[in-house]
Amino acid sequence: MHRREGLAKLTGRERYVDDLPLDDFLWGMTVRSPVPRGRVTAVRFGADVDWSAFVIVDHRDIPGPNEVILIERDQPVLAAGYVRHVHEPVVLLGHRSREGLRRAVRAVEVVVAPEPPVLDFRVPPRPDQIQYGRDNVLKRLKIEKGDVERALAQAPVVVSGTYETGAQEHVYLETQGMIAWLEDQVLVVKGSMQCPYYVLSALKHALARDESRVRVIQTPTGGGFGGKEEYPSDIALHAALLALKAGRPVKIVYDRGEDMAATTKRHPSWVRHRTGLTRDGRLLAQDLEVVLDGGAYVTLSPVVLSRGIIHAAGPYSCDNVRIAGRVMFTNAVPFGAFRGFGAPQTLFACERHMDVIARTLEIDPVELRRINLLRDGQTTATGQVIRDGTDRVAVLERALELSDYRAKRRAHAAFNETHAAQRRGIGLAAFYHGAGFTGGGEVHLNSRVRVAGLADGRVEVLTANIEMGQGTLTVFTQIAAERLGFAPQDVAIAEADTGRVPNSGPTVASRTTMVVGRLIERACDDLRSRLEVDAAVRGASLRAAIVRWHREHAAERLVGDAVYERPPGISWDDANYRGDAYGAFAWATYVAEVEVDLATYSTRVTGFVAVQEVGKVLNETLARGQVQGGVVQGIGWALMEECKFRDGAMINNQLTNYLIPTSDDVPPIHVAFLENPYPHGAQGAKGLGELPIDGPAPAVLNAVAAATGADPRAVPLTPERLMAIADFGLRSAE
Amino acid sequence: MLRLPSFKYLQPKTLKEALAMKADAGPDGMYVAGGTDLYPNMKRRHQEPRTVISLMAIPELKRLEGWNVGTCVTLTELSNLPTFQHSYPAVAHAAALVSTPLLRNMGTLGGNLCLDTRCNYYDQTYEWRKAIDFCMKKDGHICWVAPSSPRCWAVSSSDVAPVAVAIGAEFLLVGPQGERVIPAGRFYHNDGINYLTKQPDEILVEVRLPAPDGWDAVYHKLRRRGSFDFPVLGVAAWVRREGGRVTDARIVLGGVASWPQEIPEAAAALRDGELGDDAIAAAAAAAYRPAKPLDNTDFDLSWRKQMTRVYVKAALEELRQRRG
Repeated sequence: MHRREGLAKLTGRERYVDDLPLDDFLWGMTVRSPVPRGRVTAVRFGADVDWSAFVIVDHRDIPGPNEVILIERDQPVLAAGYVRHVHEPVVLLGHRSREGLRRAVRAVEVVVAPEPPVLDFRVPPRPDQIQYGRDNVLKRLKIEKGDVERALAQAPVVVSGTYETGAQEHVYLETQGMIAWLEDQVLVVKGSMQCPYYVLSALKHALARDESRVRVIQTPTGGGFGGKEEYPSDIALHAALLALKAGRPVKIVYDRGEDMAATTKRHPSWVRHRTGLTRDGRLLAQDLEVVLDGGAYVTLSPVVLSRGIIHAAGPYSCDNVRIAGRVMFTNAVPFGAFRGFGAPQTLFACERHMDVIARTLEIDPVELRRINLLRDGQTTATGQVIRDGTDRVAVLERALELSDYRAKRRAHAAFNETHAAQRRGIGLAAFYHGAGFTGGGEVHLNSRVRVAGLADGRVEVLTANIEMGQGTLTVFTQIAAERLGFAPQDVAIAEADTGRVPNSGPTVASRTTMVVGRLIERACDDLRSRLEVDAAVRGASLRAAIVRWHREHAAERLVGDAVYERPPGISWDDANYRGDAYGAFAWATYVAEVEVDLATYSTRVTGFVAVQEVGKVLNETLARGQVQGGVVQGIGWALMEECKFRDGAMINNQLTNYLIPTSDDVPPIHVAFLENPYPHGAQGAKGLGELPIDGPAPAVLNAVAAATGADPRAVPLTPERLMAIADFGLRSAE
Repeated sequence: MLRLPSFKYLQPKTLKEALAMKADAGPDGMYVAGGTDLYPNMKRRHQEPRTVISLMAIPELKRLEGWNVGTCVTLTELSNLPTFQHSYPAVAHAAALVSTPLLRNMGTLGGNLCLDTRCNYYDQTYEWRKAIDFCMKKDGHICWVAPSSPRCWAVSSSDVAPVAVAIGAEFLLVGPQGERVIPAGRFYHNDGINYLTKQPDEILVEVRLPAPDGWDAVYHKLRRRGSFDFPVLGVAAWVRREGGRVTDARIVLGGVASWPQEIPEAAAALRDGELGDDAIAAAAAAAYRPAKPLDNTDFDLSWRKQMTRVYVKAALEELRQRRG
């Protein structure tokens, strides 16, 4: 099936939040903190602006608690006398003309008495830098299995290493934007977002309004990648506060510079591995320390840390594992959700470390992985018994075969012998990604889905899950159509409007197809049971039954409902971080080929193979697109995407100096799927969205290591970084 | 989205009309060709003309006569011309390396030759620049690259300019006082603010290329990605050879100074010899010493300094191989 909204996007007819017609509205803009930390001593409004023409909102205009409610309540909607990061919102301005507003924003001075900020999460804070708890630790988590100390003491070999990753910007095509207005005492907020019910909950809390007086509607969303998971709550609150005070609609749309400087990014990480092994490479003990930079507020960092540490030991069997994780408070713009959610950071460390181990023990990196990959019946770090029937070694073998790995290694060795100025190499990463919310998360979400039978015999699927380019509309249509025997055009997907759709949870965590899709199937079944027909009634006869029902029940609604139920045999102990962390994992091996120019230290990725087992693939075009997009984003993170900060502010917040790969910078990406249907996912699907961002960085850096003999431990591996850690003997004397 | 300020847009049909319009508009008037440099700059309030005079409807600026090229020929047209690919491959190649296909479809030869100089402290939004209290190139007093410097160090970032200087092209300028023809090398100042010797009311009308009579040139461009980015270093190398011997040479670097930086020492190392490994190494070393990039573009400075030598060597090796 073709992408449902594809033609509208292709022809430019799709209307994003900034395209929506809006009568008699004001633009909204944000005045932000100029420094990373301090007491706000004054807010000065310049004399050369007629302020009577502006709506001005500060923290005193917030009707409810001044809190962006999420996991904690530490983040204010607008700073009240104290700022904890550069660009923290302090004052909101509304005005008719955008240009006038821009000038007005420049005319407001936020005066701050600066206090010493924390700007490096790796360095223990001084007493005068403590701003959260007793030690600036936002969250600590620990996984323990077996007896790591004893196993390390007895291990014939111990290999240690530390690994670092930098922040990454989402670069969704559509920047953050929101409009808000009052409609018969109901506050309506519309905009670009992944999680309408998160926004609803934030609005209810800070604006002290109950559900009947707030409505949140998602507009077509031009990319999210996690950047529109929690941040839209902030901008929605800002637009709503201005609209409530102005009594008129207000629109806030960030430009690229503001979006890049002031919104969330991927958490920077520091990971230390200490691994005990037999001489032939069998894992005996894995001791890990994982540290993330959380930024100035808690936001979603505890959950990012959770997913990070659960994936940190890799898809390997090891009886003794200890993973100690913490997220540090710093006076940086809060880091937040980004595709992969902590796993790309820890899997980079894990898979790079596997190659470091292989080099130390002088064994083949493929063999090292092959002997340690989880077999059915073995357990993960949290003690989850894996018994899904997937042959993880077969996934690895398929990737080797498609990349012609062995022959390439020989060819590269020959090439490197005969070429003075270039080195070729091939590297791999074996990894996994848990689908859906971690641990008890899905149970807490308690997601609900509704399928309504319409009077004309069609059905409408009602969920809060959204399309942001990844294909939700299309895949949901396919799932309902297949379950009911309908043609796609007889399935409508409801707009994600909290006034109409049930809370089926956020569009995050690779959960939409697997978890929500399964709920759609069950809601379809429930619809049939309301009609008192069995599963054999499909297509035209089912449509006829719906039409008949409506004739017999005039003015009544025909709906099928489904509520999340934990698959049988799954249990999670949140206090001790033990048990079944995810209902299902997707498994993958990625192989990257590179050519490194020894004179310029620059790396080109010349080939890429991505093999994954993701349960059943529901729409191969969309699935390939997800993988290719993730690989490109991963190559960018591995080689060029670098957020540069000065005094807590991103200084390269433009697309001319924060560089993402162009089509010229990525090779053809060979994508292959192995299928092992998951019984509790829609049509057997498992999650796919995040998996592809986990593998490229370690695969590419392993290939650089193989090509050059260098030992890179951090991304992005820019030419400058490679020059700093490697001397290829071609550098001339000064 | 950054938006353009409001301005008056004029479209003269002749050079004379254009000059008259500029005279009327005075210092608030500016010429524009493809607009791929000026309009983004206007959005960031780098240039703030009240009147913008488009040169794109003036037929003689689109003219191609022999080796004389009108400056409103687009970069796409220039890079696709078979005669150019054959006789001036370095010019065609440099044009083809500018930015992206979309911008080359709009951007012109003249626009690239007059490209505003660039700097990390300048190519920023108004708010960003305001936050650092601006710089001397626009609205401020200090150079943030070299705070004690009396001059602006913004960088010449044209791809075609170093080639034009290296091959010895001449530029035809038309102004209120009439015509003048100057060597490409004398079109530029080594000053980030006053980087052109062209008067604001003069129009760069035509580029006159030297006859392709036995010389050869190449252009190598350094940037982080395979597309899109401005040069962080450009190397234009030109040699004239008789037999196997180099009789004359010029090496011109882009991206290291406020003008296309000619390196006479590098050329001297090549003259009166063959393009052997030693001569190439000597020229590369000679280019490395005077090329003093500042820390105001992409890439770390230490790496960029190393790359001058690497790129000059690669450019000369390509020259040798092509006619070897």
